[in-house]
Amino acid sequence: MGTPASKRQAARKPDITGVALVPLAIFFLLALAFPFLPLGDLGAFLLQIGFFTLVAGIMALSWDILARSGQVSLAHAAFYGLGAYGYALLLKTGLVWSLAMPLAALGAGVVSLLVGAVTMRLSGMYFAIATLAFTEVVRTIIQNLPEDVAGGANGLLVPALLGGNSRGQYLLALLLLALTASVSLAVRTGRLHHAFAAIRQGEETARVLGVSTVRYKLAAFFISSFLAALAGVLYAGKTFFISPLDTFSLANSIAPLTTSIFGGLYTTLGPILGATVLRIAEEALHNVVKNGYLVVYGLVLMLSILWLPRGLMGLFRRGRHGGDL
Amino acid sequence: MDLFLQTLLNGLLQSGIYALVASGLALAVGVVGIVNFAHGEFLMLGAFMAWAASAFLGIDPLLSLPIVAVAVFGVGALTYRVSIRHVLLAPELNQMLLTFGLGILLQNLALMLLGGNTRTVTTPYQASSLNIGELSIGGPKAIAFGLAVVVLGALYFTLYRTVLGRQMRAVAQNRRGAQLIGIPVDRVYLIAFGVSCGLAAVAGVLVSVLLFASPTVGLVFALKAFAIIVMAGLGNLTGVLWASVILGLSEALVQTYVPGGGGWSDAVFFLMIFGTLVIRSFRKAA
Repeated sequence: MGTPASKRQAARKPDITGVALVPLAIFFLLALAFPFLPLGDLGAFLLQIGFFTLVAGIMALSWDILARSGQVSLAHAAFYGLGAYGYALLLKTGLVWSLAMPLAALGAGVVSLLVGAVTMRLSGMYFAIATLAFTEVVRTIIQNLPEDVAGGANGLLVPALLGGNSRGQYLLALLLLALTASVSLAVRTGRLHHAFAAIRQGEETARVLGVSTVRYKLAAFFISSFLAALAGVLYAGKTFFISPLDTFSLANSIAPLTTSIFGGLYTTLGPILGATVLRIAEEALHNVVKNGYLVVYGLVLMLSILWLPRGLMGLFRRGRHGGDL
Repeated sequence: MDLFLQTLLNGLLQSGIYALVASGLALAVGVVGIVNFAHGEFLMLGAFMAWAASAFLGIDPLLSLPIVAVAVFGVGALTYRVSIRHVLLAPELNQMLLTFGLGILLQNLALMLLGGNTRTVTTPYQASSLNIGELSIGGPKAIAFGLAVVVLGALYFTLYRTVLGRQMRAVAQNRRGAQLIGIPVDRVYLIAFGVSCGLAAVAGVLVSVLLFASPTVGLVFALKAFAIIVMAGLGNLTGVLWASVILGLSEALVQTYVPGGGGWSDAVFFLMIFGTLVIRSFRKAA
């Protein structure tokens, strides 16, 4: 017994070194410079790809924050969609976008607490199954609601974000990705990190050690869903049209988890890096593989788990100790 | 009253297929300890095989059924060998995501190769129906239900009356203990996973006759099978049967008696999951 004070200090000390922060800072600087580059005729197209890469980054990183507590969510599409629909419906009531955005995210977060309160007392398998089913059901409900409420199967028109200024939209997405990254870093360096890691590595043990596991898992789910909903708002504002089939598509649950695993689970840079690589690959491959593009995601997911369980980040830090960083 | 009886009958007939899909899934969860998110895709594979045999070779789905079942058993066994086996000791998260990735891969491969259209299998007995008093049963539905009962009977006989079945149940109860008394655990896993996929394929053949074959047909059935095994308790093989009947009946009742029920009956399975989880988490907390 009697943990030496020095050891406890070591456990508390943030183990993100400058080494990890530098590439992250470089990424954000490059991303910030991107819309101001002289891109010529392709500029608008590239800016759009950039925008959706940032949205994919928010989705992947927010999925990862939840995964750190050992929960596999297959419902990221649901919260993305709830964000998009919540935003659209709030705008219809006449709210300004800057208020509608956080409120929509908050709404999705509250829903996640309700779903989580029921599913998170049981083993992780139940959670994964329930989240997959939850996505399908939210879509069914929105499709079956009367058309004047949420547009039914035909979908809804959404006013363009920032009046359609694509550079502004890009910068807003970058700001929200920066917010997501800060949350991720805060979780990584703070108390939550130890709670999440303990729960992931052995929930029973964590509970015995005095970690109130359900509360921490709910916190992870809330943060994750809140951020995913923000990504949904960005999507709705950019495409100014949302429909149940597109918004709640399983693809929107698949992409973040694949991206995060491919990039490097439980890291901040990994999911962002993964999103950049996979989104660019998607644009490049889109003309080759038209139908069933998700085949690539399925393949990347399987191969990553079998042969690259630490993702792209694992390639860079092969020598360093501690697979679970 | 007749409407009520007819509704109950339809629900019961539907539950045969649900039980087939869910018992396969329960076998994978219970014995191998893997929640197979690609289960629906093995069903889809079976449906397409039956469609191909019927469309290109003119073989009736009921005749191609055993061949399809064996073929998909092989595919399942192979899947176990090259992928599942390597994550048995990995964290749960990796296991679930591996099968999820496999499911996405298979589903979209089918979409790429065959397109999103639905394919129907035509059979001579398609339009036939059986009449009992005021009630009527579609011929294919009755045949499908009968087949489901026979296949499930064979499954439960194997599980409870043969050496292989005893081995499976032993492995399900305690992997290490089973290994210690000399049960070839790896082989049992391989067979159990193969049989699990084979059962999904049998259901797929029936679905191709009753409904259609399409790349996404598996997902719906897989979700319902999840609801059933959640209700029965993950890995509980006997509970699957009555849980299937409950799902089949409640869906039929919603379809008949809730206005606009066609759309809402697709949400019934989720209520089942949610209801079960609420009850179970409270029981656990108490």
